[in-house]
Amino acid sequence: MDKNLKNKTIITAAVTGAWPKKENNPNVPMTPAEIADDVYACWKAGAAVAHLHMRDDEGNGTMSADKFRETVNLIKTKYPDCDIILNLTTSGDIHADDESRMAHIKELKPEMASYDCGSMNWLNSGLFLNSPKFLEECGMLFQETNTKPEIEAFDPGMIGNAAYYLKKGVLKAPLHFQLCMGCANGIAGTMKNLVFMKETMDSLCPGSTWSCFGVGHSAMEMMYGAVAMGGHIRVGMEDNVMYAKGVLADSNAQFVERARRVIEEFGREVATPDEARQILGLK
Amino acid sequence: MSWGALYFYYKCPKCGKLFKYATDLFTEFGDAFGNCPDCDTPGTYLKEGARTPDDLLYEEVE
Repeated sequence: MDKNLKNKTIITAAVTGAWPKKENNPNVPMTPAEIADDVYACWKAGAAVAHLHMRDDEGNGTMSADKFRETVNLIKTKYPDCDIILNLTTSGDIHADDESRMAHIKELKPEMASYDCGSMNWLNSGLFLNSPKFLEECGMLFQETNTKPEIEAFDPGMIGNAAYYLKKGVLKAPLHFQLCMGCANGIAGTMKNLVFMKETMDSLCPGSTWSCFGVGHSAMEMMYGAVAMGGHIRVGMEDNVMYAKGVLADSNAQFVERARRVIEEFGREVATPDEARQILGLK
Repeated sequence: MSWGALYFYYKCPKCGKLFKYATDLFTEFGDAFGNCPDCDTPGTYLKEGARTPDDLLYEEVE
């Protein structure tokens, strides 16, 4: 990597996710127009990557290719100056079938997309399924569409699974991980666990880049930890609707602005989208 | 896709306080998980969820 990029930290904004609704925080963007506006505000604040989920007209998570298309087009047409990297989810509805989880990737060919490298129980109430068949098809599709997988790992086993797909050729090095800390049924968001996740990644998939986020009480600890350990960070209302204990977030940009302050106070610099493209090896 | 922290929501049978614990704090609190942060009385379990709409009524214990 260019030595000038070694001091750069990428901020990813995950602006809506699949679960929070207006009743959780009235500032969560739900419609394509609201999501596009939030992405632009986050880019202006310093985000280099936007991780996008979609909602149906009732506010539930959806994998509707129409919604993804509308939102992506809105970002590109309403905000032509915005060069943010778009990272589309493949896991926006736990009831969606495999085909609909990949349809928008085939059509829109995003620079990045999420790749959840294993299955788990969702909030002790449902199944978050990422079958071997889905992961193999998705990995090969990403190679066809030149889409960089963002490997979401909720526990160390998912890093091991990524190493398996790397050996099989389904994934190509260098990998980029999103270490998802503190989600129910995933690994808890502690510094000890973050160090363990990074060491597991370094030993199984050497040369990988990584980012992380913490949900709930672990959000700040994981952000500071990632910056200190040379990782990248993700913020936004997908992961936290509270800005601080007992305080609802005003906007997604508010999270990005705080992340920028933390990075700069630490002595690092916020990566621009083009710098992020170089760090992540996007073509 | 993340889904926030999962909380157990409680009411204190002694002082009436409403409070919640994130479930990833089982190991940190041990047997004290679910105790009232004010009077240390074991709370009465009410429900669980990821930031239910009345979430702000419950003090987060961490």
